[in-house]
Amino acid sequence: MTDILLTPGEVGMVLQELADKLESKFKTWEDIVFIGIRSGGEHVAEHLVRLMKKRLGREIPLGELDIALYRDDLSKRLFYPEVKKTSIPFDIEGKIVILVDDVLNTGRSVRAAIDHIVDLGRPRRIYLLVLFDRGGRELPIQADFTGKTIELPSKKIIKINVPDDTSKLGNVIITGVKK
Amino acid sequence: MNWPHKDLIGIADLEAEEITTIFDLAPNFKEISRRDIKKVPTLRGKTVVLIFYEASTRTRLSFEIAAKRLSADTVAISQTGSAFQKGETMMDAAKNIMAMMPDCIVMRYPYAGMLPRLAKELPCSVINAGDGYHEHPTQALLDMYSMREHFGALKGLNVVMVGDIMHSRVARSNVYGLKKMGARVTLVGPKTLMPPGIESWGAAVSTEFDPVIPDADVIMMLRIQKERIAEHLFPGDREYSSFYGLGKARVAMMKKDAVIMHPGPMNRGVEINSDAADSKRAIILDQVENGVAIRMALMYLCLGGSNVD
Repeated sequence: MTDILLTPGEVGMVLQELADKLESKFKTWEDIVFIGIRSGGEHVAEHLVRLMKKRLGREIPLGELDIALYRDDLSKRLFYPEVKKTSIPFDIEGKIVILVDDVLNTGRSVRAAIDHIVDLGRPRRIYLLVLFDRGGRELPIQADFTGKTIELPSKKIIKINVPDDTSKLGNVIITGVKK
Repeated sequence: MNWPHKDLIGIADLEAEEITTIFDLAPNFKEISRRDIKKVPTLRGKTVVLIFYEASTRTRLSFEIAAKRLSADTVAISQTGSAFQKGETMMDAAKNIMAMMPDCIVMRYPYAGMLPRLAKELPCSVINAGDGYHEHPTQALLDMYSMREHFGALKGLNVVMVGDIMHSRVARSNVYGLKKMGARVTLVGPKTLMPPGIESWGAAVSTEFDPVIPDADVIMMLRIQKERIAEHLFPGDREYSSFYGLGKARVAMMKKDAVIMHPGPMNRGVEINSDAADSKRAIILDQVENGVAIRMALMYLCLGGSNVD
C-alpha cells in the first residue's frame, strides 16, 4: 500500500519554508556549509543550497556524506550497507555545518554522520535540518530545523522519489514495511 | 551485492563481479588512509589474529594497519617465539586460537592445502596472506587494482610478469585474476624457474624478455626468491640481470604509457635496477598504498555482515 504524502509542489513549499527559517536564523553566511547524508539527505541539501544561492546571491559549499562505515549495526550482521563515496570538497575546520537528512527517525544515522564529520575536522557548530521528523527516536537527537512533523507507525517507510533529473523535485510517498 | 564469502583462500574462488565489488569499494577506504584521523568505527569490537608462519614485513603490516583503520583489535603471532616451535600442529593451534573467539584469522603458511582446511573447520573468517607456492590473493587484488586505477580498466591490458614464476604465488594469483578480468598475461623467465605444467595456466610463456617488452602495458618484475632457490637454477645474479633484469635499456624499449610494478621486496641489481624502480613509470609505492585499501575492503566484506534475505 503506497500513499502520496507530498506532491512535488508541496515538497517545494516545505523547502521554501525551511529556506525562510535558515534565512532568518543566520545573519552572515561566511562560514556556513551544507552537508547532506547520502542518499536522501544529499538530494534535499542540493535543493536547499540551490534555493539559498538564489536568495542570497552567493555560492554555498555543499558536501555529501556516506555513513555506511559509521553504522552501529554492522556487528548484528543483519544487512549489508552499500558503501558510497563521501565527498566534502572544503575544509570543515571551524565551519558552521548544516547537516541535512531527509527523514529523522531513530537518530542513529545522525549520530553516525556526526561521528563521521568530527573525524574529518572540528566544525564550530553542527545544526541538524530534516525534511521530515517522523518520531521513533532511539537516541536523544533533535533537529534544529524541521520541514514537517508526522507520526508514522514504525513499520511504514517515507520514501522520496528522486527524478532522473535531480534538479527537479519528486513526490514523497509512504510505503512498504520496514524490517 | 550480497558478499557470499566468509573466507578468501584464493583468487580462483572469486568471480569477476566479486573482484569488481572489491575494487569499487577500495577508493572509499583509500580516502580514509589519507585523512588526518585514519580510522572508522566499522569493525569495532572485532578481533583479527595475524598468524605469520613465514617472515613478512609489508603484508603483515598492511593487514594490521587495515584492520586497525577499521577499529578492529589485532593480535600478531609469528613462528619465532610461539608454540608453533614446540611441535604443536597447525590445526590444534588454530582451534586453540579459535577458543579465544577471534572474528578473522589472517594467515601466511609455508605450505598449500592447510588454509582451505582451516577455513572449513573454523567459524571465523580465514584470509590467505600467502600459502606456499599456491596463492597470495590479496597481493593479486592490490596489483590488479593498481593497474585498474592507472589505466581505468583491466580488460585488454597486456601484462608481462618476469622472473621466478615457479616459486611465485603472486604470479599464480595474478594470472588467475587477470584472466578473469579480461587481461592478457605473458610469463617470462628462464626455463629452470618455470613450474611444470605452466601451459595449463592459460598465459603465454616466453624465455626471452626483450621481444615482449614493446607491447606490454604493464611489466611486473618478480623477486628472485633466493631463500627458496637452489643455486643451480641460474648461474648468478649478474647473468640473471643481463637476461631478465629491468634496467635503463629495457625501460627505453617500453611503450610510452607502460608502467613498472613489483610486489616487493625488491632485489635491486638483480631483477630490477634503480633506473627502473625509481623511474616515473614505477607504480610500486601505489601498490603498497593500495594494499591497505584493498585489505580494508576485503575485511569489511568478509566481516561486515551478510544479507539474511
